[in-house]
Amino acid sequence: MTGRVVLALAGAGVLVVPCVAPTYHVLLMLPFMAYGVALLGLNLLFGYTGLVSFGHALFIGIGAYTGAFLTSKFGVRSLEAILVASAVLGALVAAPVAALCVRYVKIYFGMLTLAFGMVFYTFVLKFYRVTGGDEGTPYLRPSLLGFGLEEIPKTDYLIGPYYYYSLVVLALAAAVMWRVVHSPFGLCLKTIRDNPAKAETLGISVRRYRWYAFMISAVYASAGGALLGAPIGNVDPTLAYWTHSGNLVFMTLLGGFASFFGPLVGAFAFIYLEDALKSLAPSFWRLIFGAILAAIVIFAPGGLLGLVRRARPLGVSRA
Amino acid sequence: MSGIFHASILFLVSAGLQVVFGVQKIFNLACGSFYALGAYVGVSAVQAYAAAGGPAGFFIVPLALAGLAAGLVGVVVERGLLRFVYERDETFQLLLTFALVLMLEDTIRLTWGTSPLSTGGMYLVYGQVRLLGAAVPVYNLIVIAASLVIAVGIGALLTRTAFGRIIRAAADNREMAEALGVDMRWLYARVFTLGTALGTLGGALVIPATAAMSEMGIELIVEAFAVVVIGGLGSMRGAFVGALIVGVLRSVAISTYPELEMLLIYLIVIAVLVLRPRGLFGTAATAT
Amino acid sequence: MILRAAGLRKFYGEFCALDGVSLAVDAGEFVSIIGPNGAGKSTLINVLTGVLRPSAGSVHLNGREVTGIGPVRLARLGMARSFQLVQIFPDLTVLQTLQAAVVSRLGRGTRLFASLARDREVEAGALEVAGLFGLDDKRHTPSRQLPQGDKKLLDVASAFALRPEIILLDEPTSGVSTADKTAIMEILVSAGRRIGLKAIIQVEHDMDIVFGYSHRIIALHQGRVLADATPAAIQADAHVVDTVIGRKTVLPPGPR
Repeated sequence: MTGRVVLALAGAGVLVVPCVAPTYHVLLMLPFMAYGVALLGLNLLFGYTGLVSFGHALFIGIGAYTGAFLTSKFGVRSLEAILVASAVLGALVAAPVAALCVRYVKIYFGMLTLAFGMVFYTFVLKFYRVTGGDEGTPYLRPSLLGFGLEEIPKTDYLIGPYYYYSLVVLALAAAVMWRVVHSPFGLCLKTIRDNPAKAETLGISVRRYRWYAFMISAVYASAGGALLGAPIGNVDPTLAYWTHSGNLVFMTLLGGFASFFGPLVGAFAFIYLEDALKSLAPSFWRLIFGAILAAIVIFAPGGLLGLVRRARPLGVSRA
Repeated sequence: MSGIFHASILFLVSAGLQVVFGVQKIFNLACGSFYALGAYVGVSAVQAYAAAGGPAGFFIVPLALAGLAAGLVGVVVERGLLRFVYERDETFQLLLTFALVLMLEDTIRLTWGTSPLSTGGMYLVYGQVRLLGAAVPVYNLIVIAASLVIAVGIGALLTRTAFGRIIRAAADNREMAEALGVDMRWLYARVFTLGTALGTLGGALVIPATAAMSEMGIELIVEAFAVVVIGGLGSMRGAFVGALIVGVLRSVAISTYPELEMLLIYLIVIAVLVLRPRGLFGTAATAT
Repeated sequence: MILRAAGLRKFYGEFCALDGVSLAVDAGEFVSIIGPNGAGKSTLINVLTGVLRPSAGSVHLNGREVTGIGPVRLARLGMARSFQLVQIFPDLTVLQTLQAAVVSRLGRGTRLFASLARDREVEAGALEVAGLFGLDDKRHTPSRQLPQGDKKLLDVASAFALRPEIILLDEPTSGVSTADKTAIMEILVSAGRRIGLKAIIQVEHDMDIVFGYSHRIIALHQGRVLADATPAAIQADAHVVDTVIGRKTVLPPGPR
């Protein structure tokens, strides 16, 4: 019951933030929501299927560049179109990549995904005539549900209509993922995570289900990328660099990969922590971040939500 | 030629990566950061040496020594951090090395600042030679020679010394080695330090030819990663051959199709992972 | 004939684990495979259940060639197995484990947007098997928290939840106290009858169990079939008794 209360409070909080909080903080919520969508997908792969991808920034890059290209090179400004296109492109790229990667586990899976991520990064960096190289491609202000809203200054657009649009996308994405995770399909993923050999003897094709999970996570990550790029206004290759993929895993671990809301908590904590540290300790915020990650890995591998759960009595299955 | 120079440095760093993976089964993402550390320490050492009036001709001595000394950081890292995750899933081990990358990045930045540091033209004190129609600094040849010596040395260490035999035994079968009385804590501390020292040495030796820059660590790790995949995880011969392949391919690509540079290498990495996951010299892959 | 294996050979490099093993199991049979350690029993089970590809030979299930098609397809064709070293899903509850098997059986694994909790048919199927194995009062317990004996039961129960035609049990009573062994066997046999199981093959070391339940016994030795006969015939075969069973063992009468 407390879980639902907390969720309701959080939901209410997120709804009123633009009305009560200073602009700066409202703007910080935007990457949180974008990463939230992406991480919901990543955790389907990580927490529910047991595969750790070190290349998911690839799909964030695909989503962001799709938005950038559609708005600045093809004159398509509809965010709906951008989201759909990102999802489709993410799926198209994921299909062969996933087919290859799911044949491997653990470190080999991680290495393959890292390699693919870097292929995209290098491709986007080097073919600068098309992609703008390290200067990137502009991602112009998208229109929301057909409304250009050009009259509104950019900041008001972002903390108002764009904020609520992102929130709706995040809520929808979460609702869908909740269904998926609690479906017969979700159960099969969990069996693969827990014991692939036994899952096979129960007739569950490990490779095929991993592929499905990868595809879904890629679609989510691409959508997240599309949402991430718009407020920044410019999309550059660093979005696909391997350290960005590492950060995605870091965020998931921070919040707790063993629960549904862990990644969202992680994204929130990461964004705010990063911002706070950058202003408090501009010359050594990465040091502190690294120390936090190390502390989590060593002392609290279940992440923040894992710590919360430890304070509660045991006996509750994490599935 | 510059490809072979780059390959020599790459070999040193990759060898460090391989020895740690071979024995501890940990892929140390921070090996690139140790390389960067070695580079910066090397620059400082050489600058101090020059300021103290040391003869330019011997600058390579403090450089190499500094590089090796920086490797001692490995002891601190292993005892203070890494040993807590030996019993954990490899994902967590990998993430811990990622945390190290972050921490080292700022530590270096705090100590040496953000602008590139270099030893300037100091390495030209050894002069240049003309090889195959290009001017090659003798310094580069010295480094290549040194790498070859180190490669042979590592080979000898592994095959002829007791320590080397323990390393190979532990890499082959950890439980067995433990049952035979090898103290894993002792071994792990030494192996990790050896791996780190190889990385820092590589960083120090590269300095005269390039500059110490803040991104050098995270950029090198992806090349080192390509080397160990192509060569085979855990194999020293793999590090040698892999470094050669990556180093030479890269310089060939840079001079012919610059856009292709690393792209080609990553595509080869993917091809290797798909067609022959254990690489050229590795043992059987732990695929599904 | 439900399961037929012909001329199975398996080499690990130079070492020959299976050297021309053939067997046939009909509907209604309970067959035990016995043999000393290293005889090739586990290898044989792994080859029959598609986990290993034999170096030579074939396996047919209901007349259809299934050599090396893998456990996933075999499970769909009606073959299930349990493991010698207990295999469970540590973070799933008893109910979820059984639900997974039923989901797979009903082919509902690709239902992404349906609610598992509201699937009455899956729940009923899972609860039925839980009841047969006496696990229904523990159905919400995470598998990792079950006592060892219950984990063993769950491993077998999840195989039964597939409603297979034939089931291969790798040492179903190993690690279980003698008092409980018979209880487990009784549960197995009656559950099998309830779900329409047509044949059981087990690898077993406990001769009381073997002789108490088998219609036929196959004795393996050094990768070869030493004997393939009824318990009475095996008992009378001094060579088999010496090599595989051991003379000091007092053999009980035939199956119930």
